[in-house]
Amino acid sequence: MTDAAEKNTMSGNTTVPENYINRVTIGARLRQYARSPLSLLLMILVMLAAIFAVGMLVFIIIYILVNGVPHLSAEQFSWKYTTENVSMLPAIINTLLMTAMTLILAVPIGIFAAVYLVEYAKRGNKLVKVIRVTTETLSGIPSIVFGLFGFLMFNISLKWQFSILAGVITLAMMILPLIIRTTEEALLAVPDSYREGSFGLGAGKMRTVFRVILPTAVPGIMSGVILSIGRIVGESAALIFTSGSGHNLPGALIGSGSSAATLTVHMYILSNEGLHTDQAFASAVVLLALTFIINLISDLIERHISKKKG
Amino acid sequence: MKITRTLSLGTAALLAIAALAGCSNDNGSSGSSSPSSSSSSDSSTPAANNSSAADSSSSADENSSTPATKLDTEITVVSREDESGTRGAFVELMGIEQKNEAGEKEDMTRGDAEIINSTNGVMMSVAGNVDAIGYISLGSLNDTVKAVDVNGVEVSVDNIKSGEYMVARPFMICYQQAKLDANAAATDFVKYIESVEGQAIISDNGYIAIDTTDNYTASGVSGAISLNGSTSVGPVMEKLAEAYKALNPDVSIDVQQTGSGAGITAATEGTCDIGMSSRELKQEEIDAGLTPLKIADDGIAVIVNLENPIEDISSDEIMKIYTGEINNWSELA
Amino acid sequence: MQKAIEHIMHALFLICACVSILAVVLICVYLFATGVPAMSEIGFTDFLFGQKWKPSSGYYGIFPMIIGSILVTGIAVLIGVPIGILCAVFMSHYCPAGLYRFVKPAVNLLAGIPSIVYGFFGLMVIVPIMKSIFGGSGKSLLTAGILLGIMILPTVIKTTEASLNAVPKSYYEGALALGATHERSVFFASLPAAKSGILAAIILGVGRAIGETMAVILVAGNQTILPENITSGVRTMTSNIVIEMGYATGLHRDALIATAVVLFVFILIINLCFSVLKRRKD
Repeated sequence: MTDAAEKNTMSGNTTVPENYINRVTIGARLRQYARSPLSLLLMILVMLAAIFAVGMLVFIIIYILVNGVPHLSAEQFSWKYTTENVSMLPAIINTLLMTAMTLILAVPIGIFAAVYLVEYAKRGNKLVKVIRVTTETLSGIPSIVFGLFGFLMFNISLKWQFSILAGVITLAMMILPLIIRTTEEALLAVPDSYREGSFGLGAGKMRTVFRVILPTAVPGIMSGVILSIGRIVGESAALIFTSGSGHNLPGALIGSGSSAATLTVHMYILSNEGLHTDQAFASAVVLLALTFIINLISDLIERHISKKKG
Repeated sequence: MKITRTLSLGTAALLAIAALAGCSNDNGSSGSSSPSSSSSSDSSTPAANNSSAADSSSSADENSSTPATKLDTEITVVSREDESGTRGAFVELMGIEQKNEAGEKEDMTRGDAEIINSTNGVMMSVAGNVDAIGYISLGSLNDTVKAVDVNGVEVSVDNIKSGEYMVARPFMICYQQAKLDANAAATDFVKYIESVEGQAIISDNGYIAIDTTDNYTASGVSGAISLNGSTSVGPVMEKLAEAYKALNPDVSIDVQQTGSGAGITAATEGTCDIGMSSRELKQEEIDAGLTPLKIADDGIAVIVNLENPIEDISSDEIMKIYTGEINNWSELA
Repeated sequence: MQKAIEHIMHALFLICACVSILAVVLICVYLFATGVPAMSEIGFTDFLFGQKWKPSSGYYGIFPMIIGSILVTGIAVLIGVPIGILCAVFMSHYCPAGLYRFVKPAVNLLAGIPSIVYGFFGLMVIVPIMKSIFGGSGKSLLTAGILLGIMILPTVIKTTEASLNAVPKSYYEGALALGATHERSVFFASLPAAKSGILAAIILGVGRAIGETMAVILVAGNQTILPENITSGVRTMTSNIVIEMGYATGLHRDALIATAVVLFVFILIINLCFSVLKRRKD
């Protein structure tokens, strides 16, 4: 997009017919390649790589669909999981539940942390440095390590057993850096004139933050939230040891009967014992559809942001 | 501009992708039961999805002209992970657990054996590899792999009951007696598992019931029970829990499948009411305050690929395969 | 009154900002409190450099797993990074806008596919192919590396593309004006200018590859021995934890947590490299 725009302005300035500078006929290009075999090689490599990446995706998607779609059946969407119907509906609801709870916990903390880092912290503050380092560390920790930590802290030390809350807190810690980072970027993108304008009209700092800066940054924050949802939905290693393998809806937040398996964990468990491999693939199809929808929303938001900017 | 060029390249790329996708379609449909080398031969038939046993074996016949009675390839040994209940029982029964120089019993499974931490993983690996041998719980056996006879005895519920098929292990539950007594629902559930009705569910699912004459009558208790442990016991325990809940609707049962060790730990630490284990409890675990109770027996099926012509194997040969003395299928008697 | 609220909110923001410090401290405390005593009980050198892992017999050496993790990650980077960079070049310098609308979501979708699905895919598609090429069981260092290479593609592509797009257009145009071909302009003018972004992509890819668990279990073979060659099976640190955690009790469980500690330290080192790089850039 910007590419084309730039070219337009360029051609506008120099009264050359549009795109004249970059116009290369196929024959000229072939002659160029004949002169420079390296260029030809590089071009072929680039094309091969692109075909490989997109081909891989198509390959995997078709593989899932072929194995999964024939096994999708109405009874897999019963309200209650039994070993007979192997329903994934409770797992889907659990996924939504867990996503909502995790976001409720992590998003305010993440946004406030970003607000502190961008709006309040003074330059060169030691604490800010520490916060940045720890946030980066947190974002690099593999999910299995999060899972082990959650298991040690919530399930063993606090004796919560396998519980949805243990999973939620573990996930919240996992997505926190993501939310902080995207919110920070969104806040930095808010022009300083907004702040100055707000202060100039006599608003306090807090009022400026909540009434002027945050509303402007909402699309950016949303894109971070969507990314987090994607991460929560796809997560398995961190949840197996924390929220466990309860196939039905949790009855409590912690303690007995509070275990809740998200769709990904549900699929992992189904695939483990070899009794329900077909149903595992069917859940993979649903999971893929979920991921696709999440990506779609994220794309829409991104487009919205760039349109605003443009 | 370069648009024409890129567009033409783009279409070429899309065509290539479509071709790739076409291949993947064939691979995906037959890949789970036959190696990809043979999948090209039956690419014209839009084969139904996986587990088409006859299909894959016929394509193998096309590939190998001589109907060999024995493979002449290196054996791929597939094993469960260290301390899995299934592996523990298997190595003990097969004599793979041998005394080392220090005189302590040690699992001598060869170091280069493939390790997989799920029954399904073992089955998928064996189903996709002609040279593989593995072992799984009898209750999970399906037609993607072939169970071989051990010492001439077929693996079946009857043969395990009669003791002729030697590779079997117990399914156990364990609990702290005081904690169980305090939970009326859990006590009642244990009574149900041990009853004729409960054991009927166990044998319906392909496991070997224990002899009992006690009948169970619903007592109308209410409460919550949490179970935790073996992934082998878990599936049948879920069936038991469902049947029990049908009789006692006021009871909620939570079955967590984490592993024998984790279940025993949870029962010891009191984070669950009942632990499930697919191996006998160790003395130190009983000393820690747990009461073990056997609820069923389970056979361990020794499995090979469907295309492997072998039908019978001796326990001595299994031992030698797993300890690395035998490396090739042709070395078998 | 207004001032009080301002102060309270300031404090609230500060507290929220400190949550990530708290999280890291908690994780460190819990992991190290269990892992380090286990390490010292086993013996630090026996644990880190012991070549035998047999918990049932009391051997806890994770050296093969450390090597396994490093090798698998290395292969993944060797495969994933060049392809990823080339893909990024395609997306920023070759892809027409019409195609881009499909390629970009495709890359995002590739990032969103759960790792278990990748694992199934690897087991049923890549493993048989590797078996027919190299013999053996098909589950190997190389297989795991290839699968991980595919899995880190989206990370590498996205980061590299972003940094390529940030390179001023004039670099490319300048090279073109000097008579270089399109390819030469891209690869020898634009790409070097995006060097730091590419380095970041590599480091992120390494982080993703070393921490990946569920997919690797299914295709690596998981043998606890040092791999002899590229087609031997390996076990990574992450798969060691997932495979045995369910059954482990006592010292065995603590040894697995100690494995997580080692993994954690690896990640810290990688992050350190990352921040050093960043600082140099600034």
